[in-house]
Amino acid sequence: MSEKPEKLACEQAIKMILEYLDNELTEHDHVAMNGHFETCRSCFSRMEFEKMLKDKISALPAKKAPDSLRNKIKKVTGKF
Amino acid sequence: MIAVMPTVDGHMLDKEFFADQVEANLDRFYAHAILMTKNEACAEDLVAEGIAKAWKAVDSLQDATRFVPWVKRIMTNHFISEQRKASTKTRHIEYHEEFSEESEPFSLFEQLHQPFLLWWGNPEKEFLDDLLQKDIVAAFEALPENFRIAVLMADVEGLSYPEISDTLDVPVGTVRSRIARARSALQKQLWDHALEKGLVDQEGED
Repeated sequence: MSEKPEKLACEQAIKMILEYLDNELTEHDHVAMNGHFETCRSCFSRMEFEKMLKDKISALPAKKAPDSLRNKIKKVTGKF
Repeated sequence: MIAVMPTVDGHMLDKEFFADQVEANLDRFYAHAILMTKNEACAEDLVAEGIAKAWKAVDSLQDATRFVPWVKRIMTNHFISEQRKASTKTRHIEYHEEFSEESEPFSLFEQLHQPFLLWWGNPEKEFLDDLLQKDIVAAFEALPENFRIAVLMADVEGLSYPEISDTLDVPVGTVRSRIARARSALQKQLWDHALEKGLVDQEGED
């Protein structure tokens, strides 16, 4: 039988959710978090919520470069 | 004669490649600059200056496939050093670096989550669905500069904490705390904004 990772308390899990989503946890902690989410609906919902918010932020404005900038850049690269 | 720049790993990076890459990715550079400067004219300048700097430093690009993050990093560094110069004169930049362990981070989820509604609705998701991109941009722009940049790099650019630490030249622990505090502040902004616009009911509160 494989050794079970130690159980996380919700309080610990909540503190690690954002770093979990950023992929910044150690592998050990990441696995422990996955285990926690399997059994804890509340923390899982919280993680889903934070993920949705993070995704919204990731999708922040895709503004098109104005023509004035394109012309400016052409002048810059033209000088090389 | 064509100007040819050799890169470290022996690949040749010429002027044409550079100009093509800039052209193809200009929208991305501009979007990055807008989020940093919050101002269209400043964003244009930042992109132009960043690209001129990148060309001069083209020797330091070790992997041509990393062209976009490399230019963005140069832009970020340029922006930060310009801000530092400006701040020694008149500009006030808020640096709340100490991370107070006692202050609980603000959590939108905690405000919205109603366990007894679990099977009937999903107030958290509804809240996010009602948020407009401009609400998020406004909350984002209201963050103090060093926090805004940290979240920008983590969430929009998808950089790792060590990469951010490297670019900003601050310890990884500082990056971690800035990102945590920035997100807390961002969530507080969004919550206050939602209350103001009547997007959420505040029951049983004064």
